[in-house]
Amino acid sequence: MINFSKLLGSSLFLLIVFYLGINQSVLSQNFKTKHIIEIKNMKFVPSELTIQKGDTVIWINRDIFPHDITEIKNKTWSSATLLQGKSWYKVITKNEDYYCSLHVVMKGAIIVN
Amino acid sequence: MKTIKLITVIIVLTFFPTSSLFSQKNTTLSDPEVASVAVVANQIDISYAEIAVKKSKNKEIIDFAKRMITDHNAVIDQAVALVTKLSVTPKDNAVSQSLLEGAEKTKKSLRKATRKNFDKLYIDNEVAYHKAVIAAVKDLLIPESDNKELKGLLQTVLPALEAHLGHAEMVQMKLK
Repeated sequence: MINFSKLLGSSLFLLIVFYLGINQSVLSQNFKTKHIIEIKNMKFVPSELTIQKGDTVIWINRDIFPHDITEIKNKTWSSATLLQGKSWYKVITKNEDYYCSLHVVMKGAIIVN
Repeated sequence: MKTIKLITVIIVLTFFPTSSLFSQKNTTLSDPEVASVAVVANQIDISYAEIAVKKSKNKEIIDFAKRMITDHNAVIDQAVALVTKLSVTPKDNAVSQSLLEGAEKTKKSLRKATRKNFDKLYIDNEVAYHKAVIAAVKDLLIPESDNKELKGLLQTVLPALEAHLGHAEMVQMKLK
């Protein structure tokens, strides 16, 4: 009986720690801002965006044409091809210049404060 | 059938393989005829691109050509969806026929070209073709289209044509 109480107490303690841990994680995520860049009329709108380090940027393709989002200089990262209505996101931690590798004249920049 | 106001479009097609596509002559087009011209103009660029994909060994040319096939097919799909919605049948006309006749000459030139000369011939034609189509869409087809949705589709296509032209010019510069 005593052992059962100890077990119950320990389990409750672990549950509380786990719950607080999750909440803390959710809270820390919520402090980061989300920004939306629309892809429309063959342009990234806005084409230049200033954010805080760690913010999330979401690209949404509003065009009838497929597009992607690719780091321009060394192609270090790239989205998959986005069809109309599809979106993609990335957490941004440094300045990034990007373009659409399918329509190479489409370019954008993200500036981290 | 939906009443569609006739529009006056000053177009004629004096086609030479890598020069101007549209020159001037008084032509009257209805909206179904405008839709036909739009679809045919897209089909023509797809047909050029299909030759390029088969014939070129240059990655930039092949990538550009594949992009033309995908994008111009997307425009055709939109045009078909629109005319279906409006219960309008694209109507063959002197402009679309002239476009097709001109395209046959260009396709012959592209097919005859040696592999060495093909890439330049193709991309020079793409630059000229997109310039001509942009001018026709911007200055004639959009202002003269009566149906708002048809006008809207043409306006949607214009930035894509301009992006294609910019892309073609970049490839053209690299080939020089």
